[in-house]
Parts: sequence; C-alpha cells; structure tokens
Amino acid sequence: MTYFMLLTVNGLVIGLIYALMAAGLTLVFSVLKVVNFGHGSFYMLGGYAAYYAIGLLGVPPLVGVFIAMVALFLFGVAIEWLALQPMYTGKVERKDEYAIIVTFGLTILLTNLALVVFGPFSKSPPAFLQGTFIAGPLILPYDRLIAAAVAVVLLVALAWFLARTSLGQALDAVSQSRESAAVIGINPKRMYTVAFGLGSALAGGAGALIAPIFALSPNMGELPGVQAFIIIVLGGMGSVSGSIIGGILLGVVQGLGVGFLPDPNRALAYTQAFGALLLIFVLLVRPTGLFGRAHTRLE
Amino acid sequence: MKPIAIAVMIAAATCLLTVNALAAEPIVLGWVGPLSPPGNFSGGQEMQWAVQLGVDEINKAGGLLGRPLKVVYEDTKGQPAEGSAAAVRLITRDKVAAIFGEFHSSVALAEADVAHKQGVPWVGTDVWADKLTALQYPEVFRLAPANSLVYVKVAAWMAEQGFKHVAIIAENTDFGQDGARVVSNILKEKHVDQKLVTIDLNQQDFTPALLRLMSEGAKPDIIQMVVAGQAQYQIVKQACQLGFAPNAKTKMLGSTGLLQKEVWEVDGDCAKHLLVVNIATPKSQWNNKAKAFAAAFQKKYNRAPTGVAMEAYDTLGVVAAAIRKAGSAERKDIIKGLSQISYVGVNGTYSFPATTDPAWAYHQFIDVPFHIIQYTASNQAPSDAPIVYPKKWATTDKLLPAN
Repeated sequence: MTYFMLLTVNGLVIGLIYALMAAGLTLVFSVLKVVNFGHGSFYMLGGYAAYYAIGLLGVPPLVGVFIAMVALFLFGVAIEWLALQPMYTGKVERKDEYAIIVTFGLTILLTNLALVVFGPFSKSPPAFLQGTFIAGPLILPYDRLIAAAVAVVLLVALAWFLARTSLGQALDAVSQSRESAAVIGINPKRMYTVAFGLGSALAGGAGALIAPIFALSPNMGELPGVQAFIIIVLGGMGSVSGSIIGGILLGVVQGLGVGFLPDPNRALAYTQAFGALLLIFVLLVRPTGLFGRAHTRLE
Repeated sequence: MKPIAIAVMIAAATCLLTVNALAAEPIVLGWVGPLSPPGNFSGGQEMQWAVQLGVDEINKAGGLLGRPLKVVYEDTKGQPAEGSAAAVRLITRDKVAAIFGEFHSSVALAEADVAHKQGVPWVGTDVWADKLTALQYPEVFRLAPANSLVYVKVAAWMAEQGFKHVAIIAENTDFGQDGARVVSNILKEKHVDQKLVTIDLNQQDFTPALLRLMSEGAKPDIIQMVVAGQAQYQIVKQACQLGFAPNAKTKMLGSTGLLQKEVWEVDGDCAKHLLVVNIATPKSQWNNKAKAFAAAFQKKYNRAPTGVAMEAYDTLGVVAAAIRKAGSAERKDIIKGLSQISYVGVNGTYSFPATTDPAWAYHQFIDVPFHIIQYTASNQAPSDAPIVYPKKWATTDKLLPAN
C-alpha cells in the first residue's frame, strides 16, 4: 500500500507539471486553432530564464519562476506577432500547413540556438528548498512538493482568470467563434496575442518549476512537448480543465505502470507506452477526449 | 635566349608550382560525434575541442607529411541514420583519408558499416559495445575499451568488495545493453544477486523505477549505472532525494559523464560518495604529453579535460601516427599503418593487434587504462578524488561512507 501511495503521489506531482504545460498548449489551440509544436521549447526557455534570473539578479528561486513566466509571456507575444500574425492578414493561403511549419521550425531553431547560447553542459538552478518531506511512509523532496503546490496555484489562477475576468471571457468567446466575438467588440487578433503569450508563460512556468528537480539542457523540452500533445488529446482538444485532468491522469498512470508492470527490467523504458495506451483507451471510449467539444477551423 | 631554353624554364617552373601546390594540399580527415540532441552533445563537444587542439598543434609543428591537416566535423546527433549519412558525406563529398571519433556505439556501428564497404579507415574514440570490433572489419580500430574489457573487471571488483545485491541500471542502446550483459554474466558466475532496469535516455523521471528497486526484494547495496553522459545526473539526484543512494547502505557506481564538473551543479552534495569509472590514467601517472594536453585544454577551454577528451586527443594522434608510419595519406596505407603502429599518447601506448579470440579483441587497444574513483568532498575534481581500484593505483582501500 505504501509503495502504491508513493508511486501515486510522485505521479500526481509530475502530472501537475505536465498539466501546467498542457494547459498552455490547450489555450493556444483553443483560441488560435494552432497546434504549437514549439511549446516544448518555451518550456526549455522558461527553465533557462529562471536559471539566469536567479543567478544574475540574485532573486529567490520562486521569484525566478515568476520572472521566467513574464519573460516567456513577452517572448510569446513577440513570436506571435512576428511569425503567426501573417495567418490572419490574408498573406498566407494554407494556414494550417503554415502554422505547422512555423511552429515546428521554431522548435528546431530554439533548441539549436539554446545549444549555442547556453552551451552543451547541464545547468541547474538552486533548489526551492533543500531536503525531503517525510511523513510516515511518504517521501517527497521539497522541490517536488513546492513545484506541485505552485502548479496548483497557477492552474487555479488560470481557471479563475478564464471564468471570472472579462479578458478570460473574451478569450473564451474568440475560442468559440472569432466572427461572433468581433461582432460584440472583441478584437480577435489581440486575443490571439494574449492567448499565445499566456500559453508561452505557462510553458515557461512549467519549465522553471521543473528546472531544480531535473536539470536544464537545450533538449529538455522535447519529451514534455510530446507529453503535452498526448494530454490535450486525452483531455479533449481545447478544454483547459481537460488538460489539467489529463496531465494528472497521465502522470499517475505512467508512475503506476512503471511500478507494477510485471517485467521490472523493461518497465521504465515503457513509460511512454503507458501514456499511449491510456490515450488509445480513452479515445476508444470517448473519441473527443475526456472533456472534448466540437471545434471550428481557423476562420 | 634560345626558344628551347625558355621552354625548359617554363616547364621547370610549372613543375615546381605543381609540386608546391600538391605539398600545400591538406590531408583531410573526418570526425564524427554528437554535437546536438538527442545525442550526448556535452561529451561530443569535449571530444571536438580536444581534437581541434590536436589539429592546431600538428599544423603548428608543420603538418603531416609536409601537408597541412584539416578535419571536417560531422554532427551525428546520437542517431545511427545520421552517423551513416555523415560517413557517406565524408567519404564521397570530402574525400577524407580516414574517419574517427564517435561517442555512441549504435551510431558507430552504422558508420563502421559504411567505412567497411568503402574501404575507409575508421577509428573509434568512446564507443564500447563489444560488437564494434567483434565484427572484425579490417578498416575498424578502437581506442575506447570494449565493454568486456572494463565491465568484467568492474563486476569482479563489486563481487570482491562483498556487494551481495547489485542493481544494474542500463540505457536501452548497444552500449548499455551490452555492458549490462557483461556485468550480469560475471555477477552470475560470482553468485551475486542482481536486478536489471533498462532506461530510455530521453527519460527524466526515474523515481518510479528507483522506488521499485527500493521496495521489491532485497534492497541493493550498490547501483551500477551503465549509462552514458548526463542522464546519470538525474538518476543520482533522484536516488539521493529518496534517501536511497549513494549512502552507507547503497553505493552508486557510474561512468565517465559523472566526471564533468557540472555533476556538482546538478547533483550538489548528492554527488559526494559517488563511485565513477574513469577511462584514463590517474593524474599521478600522467606522462609529459598528458600534462601538456591537460594544461593546454584547461587554458583554451577553461575546464579540465575528462578521460573522453583524452581519448579524443589520442584518437587524432593515432590516426596522424598511422599516416606518418605509412608515409602516405592513402586509405589503404593508413589501414596498414594503424595495424602496425605503437603510438605513445596521453592515455597509454596504442597498438591494434589482429587477435581474433575473443572476437572483440580484433583491432582493439587492449591496455586501456581505467580506474575507479570515489568523490569524498563537495566540488572535488576527479583528479583529486581517492582511487579505489585498481590496487596498483589505489590511494584508499575503504569505500565511504562506511557501512
């Protein structure tokens, strides 16, 4: 039972970080109808931004996370303005293909740029708090505990922002119908920029939270980027709450899968397979994902 | 002046110019290794730096056979397909005289196949899978140890130390699985209990597997990582945070990636008491060449070279020595030269016997120096860490912390 609990708690913690990242990806998809293949790179940049903020400005690690989110918001806004806006101005004919190529190219560019700028050797920001939380049989490093707690706060704040603020409701309106939103005075282009910036900030926040737990390297966003795609399909494309539930579910299923697969030798190497199996099962039962809804294409 | 004399002078001048042009034509070698993801680009970078240092030294000293030396670097990204394509490019586009380098065994195998088909000499720097030399391609030579050269001794040492339960964490590559097989066979012979965990190098969270090792069956008293590069940092950190290892009850033994100074940045005090296999002669045994190389590397790149950098520097030295020995930069002559050389490098005196029993010994540098260190203080340089194996170099006979 203790073993089961340890695996579940660890999966929950990792799942919350996944959820934070996937929520950003969902937000971008929901509003812009663009699948951002560069999302994993924003996660990586968030980790480095926190690292340098802590190292150069001497701020505490949690403030470093906040600075990383602000930096990635601004970076996301700039990228949306530079690379994605041509889609809305009639300059691009095949918008879906354009979005795929641009965001995919972005991930290659940013990963290789990071290799040049940040160097090939691993880096790690200081721990949020040294040590391990031990309560009876529960063992959880403080880093993971704090990262999970901050992820929960950010996810709750995101849900509140989307449901309770006029800007959040404007984003929701654009996600449902760009033209209808425009009729009631919402500027869809501005909402695209806000959504992309917010999505980037969430990815950056996830990267900054994970940085002390794992380590920084230019390709650290590749696997979480793939996980985020699994999660948004699992949770239902465009559903922020679905991506949160999907993230947690994926983290827990992967942890338990590794812990209980009869072949201990191969269990860890099959981690991604557990996620794929979960996705297949959910899609067989609910083809639109856990909280999926019908969507329109980019208008 | 008579027309015939003018013609002779023109012909002589033309000949002289041609000879000079030929003399100035560089000897081109191809280097292969990971310089970007998903390969181990930090190891690849160290290798490339070491090679460039060697190239500059050779050219400063007048080049090879009176010709400048040029190395074309190919990033193989840790991917066999990239390695294969890189080898083809080097052979057909750059017309290289020989190919050398590489960090990943799976990629090396792909490159060696191409080199064999094209009759191009290929010399491996840090590729350990037995199969590479066991294929017995006449063109393929290896400076790095075969897994069977090192892990047989490492496994025997673990048994000698009295470890009863060994956990082997191995990457799912030719190097990792081959190394795990070698360790496992020896432990079986010595009747030591063992568990094997295979990992994917893209993995970042090893906690579930570590929890399983902690919870199922007898708790290991040593964890042997057959994992290249920086993935080990995560395993060490996560094992340490769980209170699992490295400590008095469970030791941890890793490979060369843990010799980079970044281990202290990522793992902090968790790296204290780590045991690390170092493929190099200990600092106390360094020859003048090793001392000069280490100083030059430190000066140019502001970091101490690891054993991998030394191997890379020596690989270039070996290829250059073979060219000098052959007196030619023709591919077949270099292969002949490699088969005959006895070259003193920073890490030993290299030769490549054509032994075929065991199969992996073919064109394998046999006297690979290696030792096991244990970090005993935070931010300790590998060269300052106590040596626990082999006996001839050991500076301590105690593993810390004491059980």
